[in-house]
Amino acid sequence: MLILTRRPGERVVIGDDILITVMGVSGHTVRLGIAAPEGVPIYREEIWLAVKEENRAAAAADPESLPSRPPTAPAADPGEGS
Amino acid sequence: MPVIFESVRFGTVEIADEEVIEFPDGLVGLGGLRYTLLDRNPGTGFLWLHCVDDPALALPVVSPHQFFADFRLELAEQDLARIGLEDLAAARVLVTVRATPNPLDITVNLRAPLVIHARRGFQVINTVEGAPLQAPLFVLAETAGTQSAASADAA
Repeated sequence: MLILTRRPGERVVIGDDILITVMGVSGHTVRLGIAAPEGVPIYREEIWLAVKEENRAAAAADPESLPSRPPTAPAADPGEGS
Repeated sequence: MPVIFESVRFGTVEIADEEVIEFPDGLVGLGGLRYTLLDRNPGTGFLWLHCVDDPALALPVVSPHQFFADFRLELAEQDLARIGLEDLAAARVLVTVRATPNPLDITVNLRAPLVIHARRGFQVINTVEGAPLQAPLFVLAETAGTQSAASADAA
């Protein structure tokens, strides 16, 4: 991993079109400004990981694992008489 | 020109060319650039978002509006720019389903919906506060509180 030291206001350039600016540092918090082409998705890592996990779990499904109708309570459902 | 592809789950599938949906960025962690929507569990509300180029890659999806009356989708500026759409109302919104043997444990991801418009699709991050990664899809009528109960029975 490349490790760089930057001060507030300084930047890192990735390729020709991604620019990361250290906006400020406060205690244990660093604020970053990211300028990237519109097509580049940018995520906080924890969200990216969580969504990846949900996608993978969803992709593990088989057609039989989906119910053919919503589950109903054992007792008669007043709103759904037929 | 029909598009024909193999599916681990459904065998040989044939769709019309215009049913192909391009996902320029793929799905998070899964990739896949071309998908289509298959109605293989008719009447249940579930569709399959199936990758055209990978026989094994498919996810069940549902319309969040069908199951969650108060579902809202808001995007960060950067996501809006990425999908190139000013008005989300014009798009079709779907959410991925985490299937489980017990239907009551099935959850959907309201945090990262799929936005589809003009044969292009994107997985986006819903910035509405508290949009859950795992929202229970079904709630038994007698225990249903603020959350809307399912109504997928319509065929």
